[in-house]
Amino acid sequence: MHISDGIIDPGISIGALVASVGLVYVAGRKVPQEEIPKMGITGAALFVVSLIHIPFAGTSVHPGLFGIAGILLGKRAFPVIFTVLLFQSIILQHGGLLSVGINSLNMGAGAFLAWLIWRQQRMPESLRAAMAGIIGVLIPVFLMVVEFHLSGYGLGIIYLFSVYIFAALAEGVISLFVVKFFRKTKSDILA
Amino acid sequence: MRHHFIDRYSDLNSPVHRLDPRVKILLAFLGILIVVSEPPGRLLPFAFYGGLLLVVLLLSRLPFAFLLKRYLILSPFIVMASVFYPVSLYFAEETQAIAFHQETIEVALSIFLKASLSLFLLIWLISVERFHILLLGLRKLKMPKLVGTISILMYSYIFVFWDEALKTTRARESRTPGKLQRIKLRTYANQMAMILLHSWERSKTLHHAMLSRGFHGEFYSMREPGLKKADVLFLALFLLLFLHIRLFTDPLFIQ
Repeated sequence: MHISDGIIDPGISIGALVASVGLVYVAGRKVPQEEIPKMGITGAALFVVSLIHIPFAGTSVHPGLFGIAGILLGKRAFPVIFTVLLFQSIILQHGGLLSVGINSLNMGAGAFLAWLIWRQQRMPESLRAAMAGIIGVLIPVFLMVVEFHLSGYGLGIIYLFSVYIFAALAEGVISLFVVKFFRKTKSDILA
Repeated sequence: MRHHFIDRYSDLNSPVHRLDPRVKILLAFLGILIVVSEPPGRLLPFAFYGGLLLVVLLLSRLPFAFLLKRYLILSPFIVMASVFYPVSLYFAEETQAIAFHQETIEVALSIFLKASLSLFLLIWLISVERFHILLLGLRKLKMPKLVGTISILMYSYIFVFWDEALKTTRARESRTPGKLQRIKLRTYANQMAMILLHSWERSKTLHHAMLSRGFHGEFYSMREPGLKKADVLFLALFLLLFLHIRLFTDPLFIQ
């Protein structure tokens, strides 16, 4: 789900990079000291799970955990996602250096909406957890379709990205079980 | 997980390895920016960019087999994105007619070349400098402090997380010998949650230890970067060459 450099319009990439650095400052204001290790370890988790590649539909997908990042970190998820994508781009060359901004905005939007869903206390917790996992994948995919289209790709790109629906469902199930596990063993971790 | 995975060729002795990390970061970043700003469908300049990149790679004394292997591992994603271009036009009714025109194919080819050259520049960047020195360089280039702090913690916690992952996998396998008959999302999700919990506890201890030793979010290295004249000259020369190709390569020359 990472956009590499050279694929989409450079104007979009640069604009997104500037916007995402601004968002890092906004979302990272007055972070309490005790939040820092949680941010670091969630980032490490996001990085490590991205190394697990599952062959799928002629390509490979990996878990993103953006829904879980949103649930655990709330609005603080954005600086973590930005850092993880910077790591992935430099160390693994997943995505690009110029595209770190656009990738962060896409995936950060997924985590942010997942957090908003998670905060809807009137819904059952299991449903909120599953929806957060699903939204954490579908929102970045939707934004990617829009960005590809703005960069000249045809609307047929919608069909090609539809394979991610299965990845989203899998992430929904994973988020549900992870939240259930946390609720049973250490419920104070859930934001 | 060993550090070797990350810093495999960063200790080679070459003129490029001795450069300030900021120069390498800026060259990769601005080089990519110049390459991707080429108008779609313009192909000739990529031959010159390729030549320039070859000079940088030769100066870096990196093994070509390694660069090529790394590129081949990642190239399917680039090929897919390039092939998607005409295919995405074909699948939409209003653009179906132009999907396989020569101009469309040229645009797809230019996407492939831009992404490939950018990928080579990224592989080059991580191969000519230690990762933590690159982070230090980024911080010197005014990367937000919070990103720097998360980076340095993440860099250590990746190994904590990986250790916990190996430990819990061993524990799970000892309870259920052989491969799982089918993928059980619940088993993997529970394992992931357990790894997160264990490593979170360990990371808190690590963070407290760092704070007690005076850690305040910044990180330092024994090798503090310092810009020299040669660094500035190297950067200026290669950026000028990149810019020259971008601005003065005449596409008509191809005919």
